[in-house]
Parts: sequence; structure tokens; C-alpha cells
Amino acid sequence: MTDDTASAQAMTDEWYPVGLISQLDKTGRQTALMGEPIVVAHDADGQALVTGHNGRRLPVKLRYGHVWSSLGTPKKDIFAIPEADQPGRRFVDVGVVRVRCSPLRAVENFLDIAHFPFVHTDVLGAEPHTEVLNYTAEIRPDVDEVWATEVKFYQPQASKSASGGITTEYMYRVPAPTCSVLYKTCPPRPTEWDVITLFVQPLAEDLCDVWPWMALFDDETAMTDLIHFQQMIFLQDRSILENQVPRLLPLDPGMEIPTRADLTSIAYRRWLKRHNYTYGAQLVAR
Amino acid sequence: MRSDTTGFWTPVALSADVLAGTVIPARVSAGIIALWRSQSGHVAASADRCPHRGMSLSHGFVRGEALSCIYHGWSYGQDGRCVRIPAHPGLTPPETIRVTTYAVRESDGIVWVAEGTPASDPPSLAGWIPLRTLTVEADREAIETAAGASASADGLLETTRADERLCLLLSPSQQVRTGMQTVTHVLVADGCLPPVRIAASRSAERLRRMAETAAEKGRLP
Amino acid sequence: MMRLYDYVLSPSCYKVRLMAALAGVSLELRPVDFHPGAEHRGPELLSLNPAGSLPILVDGDLVLTESSAILVYLAGKAASQWLGRASPVDAAREQQWLSFSSRLTTSLGSARLHEMLLRPGDIGALQAAGIAALRELEAGLVEQRLQGRAFLVANAPTVADIACFPYVALAPDGGISLDPYPAIRLWSRALRALPGFIEMPGIHRLHELKPEPLLEPGVV
Repeated sequence: MTDDTASAQAMTDEWYPVGLISQLDKTGRQTALMGEPIVVAHDADGQALVTGHNGRRLPVKLRYGHVWSSLGTPKKDIFAIPEADQPGRRFVDVGVVRVRCSPLRAVENFLDIAHFPFVHTDVLGAEPHTEVLNYTAEIRPDVDEVWATEVKFYQPQASKSASGGITTEYMYRVPAPTCSVLYKTCPPRPTEWDVITLFVQPLAEDLCDVWPWMALFDDETAMTDLIHFQQMIFLQDRSILENQVPRLLPLDPGMEIPTRADLTSIAYRRWLKRHNYTYGAQLVAR
Repeated sequence: MRSDTTGFWTPVALSADVLAGTVIPARVSAGIIALWRSQSGHVAASADRCPHRGMSLSHGFVRGEALSCIYHGWSYGQDGRCVRIPAHPGLTPPETIRVTTYAVRESDGIVWVAEGTPASDPPSLAGWIPLRTLTVEADREAIETAAGASASADGLLETTRADERLCLLLSPSQQVRTGMQTVTHVLVADGCLPPVRIAASRSAERLRRMAETAAEKGRLP
Repeated sequence: MMRLYDYVLSPSCYKVRLMAALAGVSLELRPVDFHPGAEHRGPELLSLNPAGSLPILVDGDLVLTESSAILVYLAGKAASQWLGRASPVDAAREQQWLSFSSRLTTSLGSARLHEMLLRPGDIGALQAAGIAALRELEAGLVEQRLQGRAFLVANAPTVADIACFPYVALAPDGGISLDPYPAIRLWSRALRALPGFIEMPGIHRLHELKPEPLLEPGVV
């Protein structure tokens, strides 16, 4: 564990998902945020309430199906997802899955496509279609976010509604250290993108609760099918995430070997380092 | 294990438990390693970590003569060199991408992994055949107490304490999260019949219970 | 067609899907929002199964609960070689391991639900019970191998193997290592290599069963 206070501070002032709005109750969800025990509940008037150590009230926002909170004083609002206000989309609360890994490793795995044929076999990828074609990854200075665009991959079953294989186009976006938004080819509406997010609640540096959420154009598929498809995908990743060494995300370039297929991960690690977003990271090889 | 100045052999698995075309995790002093047998039957051992994204290689798969990582399919030869990166089919991986490997020997039905550079061969187990591998949640001393006998420098211990005549081949005890742990290979006299082997397997379980009970008592204040 | 009330992450539901796939039986899947929706405890599902558990199999007027019973039904209907009925010993062994499988559910399964989906429980006690069950299974498989049998009842798989396999294979989801059990590893691999075998999330494809594809740039 790092006890570097500067790095802890940079991430302390960010917003994190801590529960589903639809599951708020009076008893409350006993959970944790970056090592501090917290309770997520609603009060007598139905207002969401997040309580930290010694009963201190923490900031609360309700957005994208989830309750968000922070241990510090967030300097800006939760990142915008304009598609969340677009009429005609269905919003899918996928629910929580706990993973014994660094919250940053969980996000990095979400940004990766090269593992599809081996981990999501015959769903998001299949041999021999393993090649990762060139794409663009950058830290966009105007919005200070990581973006990857023109990411293309052959997928046997890209979504619950997909029938047969298609080459899917992706865009990835990292607007906050433990959150990522994926824009993906939307078969029923070729001019729009489906939105699939990964919101990660850091419980500790090596433990996280992962809250996937989606905003889709899909009027056909039953809600439960949509939830199960995404849970299936994430549970295929979970056994990978729990078996990476070290558990913390190494930011020392000597620790792991990226290739051209990992441009998004390289940009993500660089962005984390630049902002001192190192809760869950390992700075020097140990 | 007999520890000369240059290194020693650790017995990590029964040959029969490492099928051709599979990889398993095995324990040496340095931690977990990936032990695998190629399709042609050659046994190899490497660090249990793919240098790409740190994934455990013992979770991977073996095709032909290479070990592949389950995460992105990066493949390594018996010499530890990366031979294939599926995301870049046209690329010949640079020589610098490799995993640490360990020397491996197979003799008398046991797979031995070299720690350091042993000056001699693994010990002979003539007269015995391997039965099964048990993990005992106790250190060597507790096992010796349970067996009523001391292990040789090679980690061999013969006992009739639990009725059947057994030979235990003890790996070095290791500190793990739950306490001390000793990977123990159980051997029986060559030529004994299945009913005797089954009885021996049960005797070994009984010895394990005795050793773990002793270790448990030892831990109490 | 038989209808299975199914949850994609449930090892007990997976037993039924796996048995059906191996026996060549088609199922109509009716997904149940177990997590986060707790639909299995809602009025519709409780009227089918007051125990509030999954899976539930409906075949015409017949409603079956408890995965072991469903496995026996599927095998009896479509693949009787999966029933260990060759001798009184086989039949008894099959029953023994079917009963044993419920201990896997309450130990390994509960540890998994605790570690993964945050269900309440004493994780230390659940893991200890899971390890005790794995040791028992390992010893049983060692004895079977010594008698020339690769599976729990015979040298061919039966419903008993299908009943035990999923919670064992997913033990690491509950923080329980499978490293100390070589016989379980061999047995698990033999099951995963069966023709018609299907996975569930957490159990990866055995990629070695497929030959290395010839990779050329630009096949995408």
C-alpha cells in the first residue's frame, strides 16, 4: 500500500459510485470508500445520505442510476454523459460485482480489446481474428480526458441483440480515474452509439466494487437479458483481474511490456501519473 | 532438500499429474511457478507471470510446444522466449520479451525443479512409486512428529505410523497466508496392488490430520 | 420444449445447461433477474418454487426444483448413460456424490456469493467448510483413479460429476485456491474436454483443444 499523502489527496477529491439509486433504503448499504467505512442510505424524507467515519456527512449526487460520493471536496461536477439525456435510450443498472484487484486495473482491462478472443471467446472475439488494427489514443487537453477512437474489432456476438459476427467500432473515454465510458456500434441505429460504462468504487487499493451501467438503443431485448449479458462479460474478466501480479497497477514503465495494441492503456497510465491519481497504483517496482 | 552451495532440486509434482498439453501451478521457494508439459511430452517451468500485463501463466494453455497466457494469448517457448503476440500477427516478438525459466528434471515419476544450479542429480527413489501429492497445512517438523520419523537431507521420510508403509517426499515448508505449508508427495512400495494403494492414500490423509492438529496446538498461546 | 428458469451466473443453473448440452437436449431459457433484482423471491417465481431458489425446470405440467433432481430427469429422458445404474454400488455412489454436491453449494457457493455479490456470511467458516469438502472430493477422486476410473462413479461421467463440477471449478471466485488438488484438476480437465461441453462465466475455454490458427496480418 502506498501511504503517499499527495497521491491520496488527488483522488480523494473525485466522485465515486457507492450504490444504486434503485436500491437505496433506510437500513443503508455498509460499504467503504478508499479505506473509510461509509453508509449509503436514504433519510426519512427519501433523500440520499452518505455517512463517513464518525458520522460525518459526505457529498452526495445522484447520476446515471447510481449514488455518487466523495471523501474530499470535489472541485468539479461528475463528468457529463450527454447520451444519458437522449430520448429513446434504455438505462440498464447491471448491479455490483466485487473484485479483489486494484480499481485502476479494473478500468485498464475495460479499455483493452486484445483479450476478447481469449477471455470472451465466441462472444466479443474469436481466433483467428486476433489482430488489433491501428487506432488513435490521446489525452485530450481541452477536456483533460483519455480518448481512444477508431478502435475496430471483429466480434462473433457483439451484444445481446446481435445475430452473427460483425466488425464493431469502439470509442473509449476515461473522464475520471476509476470510470470509463465505452461508445460502441449500435446495430439498430447506425448513426448512434451504444453507451456502456464501467464505474468503479475503490474500497481499498487492491479491492473494488464494480458497477457497470448502460444506455442503449434496444427496444427488443428484455431488461434481464441485457443485465445478464453484461454480467456474463464482466464475470469472464473477474478471474483475470484477480490473478494479475502485482495487484496494484504498475506505473513504472519497466514493470510491464505494452505493444501498439495497448495505446489506450499507455495513455491511461500516463494520465494517471500526470494527475497523481495513484491510489491503487504502484509507482516503483517492488 | 539437500542444499549444497550452488542450489538444490525441489520435487514439485507427480509426473502423472502433468498431462501433455497442460500447465499447472507449482510451488518453489521463490513462490508459484508455471509448470507445463508440451504436446510432445517435454516438461518446462517458468515464472508464473506474463511480462505483458502480469497475468498468471499457470492459468494459461499449452498448444504444441508453447505456453500461452490466457489473457492475450502471448506465447512462450521452453526457453522462455516470447514466440507469438496474437494482437500483432505479423510481428516477430523482440528477443527482449521473455519469462524466467527453471531447469526441470523428471525421474522416478517425480518432476523436480532446480533452485539455483544443483551440483548433483535429484535423489533416487528406487523401490518406491509415487501415489499422490498432498498439501499439508503444517511445517516439516509437525509432519516428522506425526510420522514419528525424521526426514533425510533429501526430504525423504519412511513411516508405518498410520498402518501402511509409506514414504513421504517433503518439499521445503513455506510460509503462506494461512501459516506454514508443506507440499508432500506420497510414495508406496513398488509393485503393491490397488487395495494397498488406497489404504496408503487413507494413511497419508491420517498423517496429515495428525500433523495439522499438532501444528494447530503449537500455534495456541 | 423444456423451460429453464435460469440465472447466467448461477452454478446450479449452469449444471442444468451443461447437462442439457452434453445430452443434446434443447432448453428454452427464461432469464431470472437474480442480481440485482431478486426476482427469484418475487411472487411469480415463489409460486413455482416456494423455496425461492434456482434453477426451476418446467416440462409441460411437471415443475422440478433442486438441480440434482433436474439432472436425473434430463439424463433419464435423453441420455441414460449419464445415470450410474450399472450396479448397486454405482447407484449408491451416485447418490452419495449428489448429496455431497449440496455441501459444495452451501460452502464454496456461499463463499463465492459473499466475495463476489456481497451476500452476508461468515467468510472464514465458509472457506474452511469449502476446503474440507474439496479435500474429501480429492481423496475420492484419487481412490477412483487407483481403480482405473476417471470420474466419481465410473470411468465415464455421470450426473454426479455434473452436480459437483461447477461449484468446484468456481471455488477461486470465493477466494479458495484449487492449487492443492491435482486429482480435482485432472477430473475437471477431463470434464471440460468432453464433446459438447459448454462454459459459464469464470470457466474459460480450453483453448488448447483448438489447433493454433495460422495468423496472417489482415485477417480481421
